[in-house]
This record gives sequence, C-alpha cells and structure tokens, in this order.
Amino acid sequence: MRSDDISRLVREESFNSDFLVDRDVFRDPDIFELEMRRIFERTWVFVGLERDVPHKHDYYSTWLGRQPIVIMRDEHGRLGAFYNSCRHRGALVCQNERGNAKRHMCPYHGWVYASDGSNIDIKDSRCASYPAAFDEHDHDLMRVPCFDSYRGFLFASASPDIPPLREYLGYVTAFLDLIIDQGPNGIELVPGYSTYRFKANWKLQLENCVDAYHFTSTHRSFMSIVNRRNSEHAREALKVMDLDLLGKKGGTRGNYTFKYGHAVTWGDSPNPEMRPIYSSIDEIRGRVGDTRTRWMFGNRNLTVFPNLQIADNFSIQMRVIRPISVDLTEMKIYCVAPVGESPQQREYRLRQYEDFFNVTGMATPDDTTCYEACQSGYGATSIDLQQGYVRGAAAVEKGQDETAAEIGVVPESRISGPFELGDETVFRSAYREWLRLMTRSE
Amino acid sequence: MLTDPNIKGHRDAADLVVLEAHYLDNRRWDDWLGLFALDCEFWVPAWKSEQELTSHPDTELSLIYYRSRASLQDRVTRIRSGHSIASAVLPRTLHSISNIQAEPLESGTSARVMSNWVVHQYNVRQAETEVLFGRYEHEIGWIDGRPVIRRKKIVILNDCLPSSLDICSI
Repeated sequence: MRSDDISRLVREESFNSDFLVDRDVFRDPDIFELEMRRIFERTWVFVGLERDVPHKHDYYSTWLGRQPIVIMRDEHGRLGAFYNSCRHRGALVCQNERGNAKRHMCPYHGWVYASDGSNIDIKDSRCASYPAAFDEHDHDLMRVPCFDSYRGFLFASASPDIPPLREYLGYVTAFLDLIIDQGPNGIELVPGYSTYRFKANWKLQLENCVDAYHFTSTHRSFMSIVNRRNSEHAREALKVMDLDLLGKKGGTRGNYTFKYGHAVTWGDSPNPEMRPIYSSIDEIRGRVGDTRTRWMFGNRNLTVFPNLQIADNFSIQMRVIRPISVDLTEMKIYCVAPVGESPQQREYRLRQYEDFFNVTGMATPDDTTCYEACQSGYGATSIDLQQGYVRGAAAVEKGQDETAAEIGVVPESRISGPFELGDETVFRSAYREWLRLMTRSE
Repeated sequence: MLTDPNIKGHRDAADLVVLEAHYLDNRRWDDWLGLFALDCEFWVPAWKSEQELTSHPDTELSLIYYRSRASLQDRVTRIRSGHSIASAVLPRTLHSISNIQAEPLESGTSARVMSNWVVHQYNVRQAETEVLFGRYEHEIGWIDGRPVIRRKKIVILNDCLPSSLDICSI
C-alpha cells in the first residue's frame, strides 16, 4: 500500500474544522497488517510493570505487537527484554506466563539460556560436527532493540529508530505521576486479572477510553442501577460510582492531547470521599502539595499510544490492548492500587473496580457490545468517512493555559467544558500519530 | 425436584443446584433470585496465574463478588431495563451440570454441593456458539424448611472471556 493511499485515510482539514477518518482503518486486513509492522513493531509499546519481576531471575512472557517476548531479571538484577524464541528452531523458550528461573531450557532440543539471555549450553555440541561457520552466529536469545522504564512502566520497541522513551511519553508523564504518586511507595497491581476478547478493531478501544460522549447513552443501565441503589436499598448496597463525576454538580473538566498520539481526559471529583485513597489525603497532601493533591483527587482517563490505557475514576484500572486481527482484540485488565494501602481502602477499591470495569461487571460489556456493533456496521462498505472526530473542533485550542500550567504540561490541544460537550478532538492525536507512523518508509 | 420442602438432605441440595440452572436458562429471574438467602455470598474468583485462583475477595481481584441478594437483583434489573445494549439481546444459554457431590456441613443444618458446569451459549447477534465451563461450589442452608443458597462460588476454567456474557452465561 502506497503512502498516498494511506494519507487519504486520515484527513485533517484544519485544527478547528473537520477531521475525517476512513472506515477502512477499522476493516481492511491489509491496513491491519501494516499497523502491526509500522506501529506495533516500530514504536514504543507498553509491555508491563517492573514490579511484576521484583526478584533476580523473575520473568514473565508477553507480547510486543504480534511477537512473543519475555522480560527477565538477571542475577545482577538487570532487566532485559528478549524475543521468546529459541535461536535453534524457534520454539518458545519460556513456556509459562511467569515464574523464576536461573536457566531456561528450550523444550525441543535442549538449548539452555541464562536469565540474561545468553546461551549457556548447546546440547551435545562436542559431537555435533558443527562447521566453523556455526560459531560465528550469535546463539543468545535475541534482545528486543529498545527497552526502557518510566518509573516502573516498561516499554519496548522492535525498531531502534525511535525517540528516547522520556521524549516519546512527553507530558503524559504528568498524568502517570498523578497515579504512581497515590501511595508513598508507588503503585502495584492487585493480584488477579482478567482477559477478554471483543470482535472488533483495536482502535475502538483506543478511542473509547477518552470518549466522554458515549457515557450517558452506553452506560445508561449502570447509571440507573447506581441511582436505584442510592434510593431503594442504600444500606446493603455497593457504593461504587460517583455519578456527580458526570458534571451534575458543575466542576471543571477537559481534554488534553499530546505529541506521539497520547491523550488525557480529566475532571474534578465533586465527592473526593468516594475515592479509595480519601483516608490518606493528609499524607498525600504533605507529600505532593495542594495543587497536585487536588488533581490527584480529580479523575482522569489516559491513553499512552498505542496500547496502554489507565482509567482513574472509580478505582484505577489499567488496560493493555493486544490486537489479534483486524476485527478481533484481546484485552488484559488490571486493578491498580497504592502499595500498602489499608485493608478498608483495598476492599472498597476492589468492589468499585469489579462493578464497573470487569467484563463480568455492568459497564464494560456495554462498551464492547457497541464496539462489535460498530464493526458489524462497517460492513456497510458504501460508507467511507466517519463523523466522529468533530465535536469540540470550533472551541479546541493549542498550547498551555492556566489550568495546564498548574500541572506543568503543554498540550498539543486542549479543551474544557461541561460533560455534555463530549469533545471528540481528543481522538485526533492518536490518528495524527497513526498517520505519521503508517506513512514512514520501512 | 423439591416436592417436599420439609425433607432435608443431600438430594434436596443437589436438586437445588440443577433447579437454579434451569431458572437461569429459562429467564425465570424472580424464581432464580428467590433461591438465594438475603445475605448470600456470590463469588467468581479471578485467576492470578496460569494455575492459581485468587482466594481472598477483600484483598485480591474477583470477576464478581457480591455479599447480598440485592446485588444479584441489580443484575436482573439491568437485564430487564432494556437500557443495557449488552443485555438487551441475551445469548441463549444452556447449562449442563454434572459430577455432583453433596456433603453435610454443621451436622445437617447446611450442605455443600460441588459440581461441574458447562454453559453452551448462542450469541444470537453474531450467530456464534461459545462454550464456558468450570466448577460450582454451593452452600445450601434451610430457612423454614426451605433450602436456600447461602453461598455460591463459580470457578471459570476458560477465562479468556467472550465479551458477550451475563449472569446466565456462567
């Protein structure tokens, strides 16, 4: 596919006007193939948390786009990212999802690798009659070219031709910090996770995380259940969601986009006592100051392009997007919590999380059903252009204002307004970055 | 079936597990809710590794954790409201329950029933069949001679979940 063919798929008429996305980006398998090569194998991709491999020789296996990789901590405590494939015939060397091992033996012909990826044994090599040329090959596990951490968030890239991680993340780190700093010792994943698949393109999830417009229609049943709980059986009810987040009590809310495809939606929380960290507010204020405390007790959803999303509103959810095919996506979702929070905070957090975010809960299935409805609707191939990237366009502005200055960020675009604004310019940064990566030559 | 509510025993307890599945598959939501004690525990643990389930609902994640029938009522309300697009077109479900083992607890005042379950569900929107399977653990007690579910634990073994599932899918 030629670059000018791709360029027609995302057309920004102007910053304050139309922005057109062709539905082929959601339904064309050739475009999906290119996305895997040019996005998921050519930019920073989130691959996990450092805290998941705390000890020497800990490892876990995961995915870098479509490629199986393994993250290992060696005997000196250094982390490495490697393609999880024996250099001999290609079998997965680490067969388990996670564990602790000094050595990893390929189950097929018994080649052995140390936790730093080096090959330490080729079975029966003395009798092998290998030619001299064999010794000239590198037999170690192949290292993923780029691998770095931002405060324990691990990212990797299959291509070295990328900006440094810190530059790539840019100002979105201010919002990661608002999550990481919720505990004096940082954050951790609550044990347990879940995996689900929806039959739709991965970019539907990419958009949904920062889509305020869908909430009052897609999650209507959840909202009515929360209202019912408050009125009918308040005593034994789960109190999990603060409907005032939707702006019924006013408050400021807005969206920022950043370079390299990142986006954040943020807002005040009228009822900070509904946040699980509320009982730690004095400790937090002493540590991070008044301004960041106010921001922290607000809410935010953020997308770190292309595959990491964090929703920090009712508890904190981390989502990792794994595209499988043009119309199938796998999600792994995790509950994030401050390290060492009190049992009461943890329990409250879990109930909030399960109710809303789980695919077995009462909100996420309504999202995924809508994604699938979109994917089915894209079958109407006579329609090419989406009308979903325009709300807010006449009001969106560039750069920093007073509010953004409070938190020290210079957004590429910013907009604020009532919940009903349902701004859609927040999606544009992801498509700008999509276009930049997709039209680079290989 | 439970023809004589005064008979206490393993058989009633095991029958109740089958009856519960029957109500779910036949969308008899009020009858289904009526099987549970008001202060019932309804727990679907998550997996925390390839072979290990979460075991402490207050410190570890669950797929579902409810501590009252009111929370089950929420699920039924959601289905009936028609406001949830996911539940508006429910999958057609069929529970098969087997390998039932019942044992008394606390000298006959309650019983534990262990069973295996398979749910075949037909996702009518996409004309696709999905299968979910796992194990149940029911704790059955008796209130005024009537057996009720005090606690239900559902283990889902194939937990790479389809996104179209509801309370009747497990």
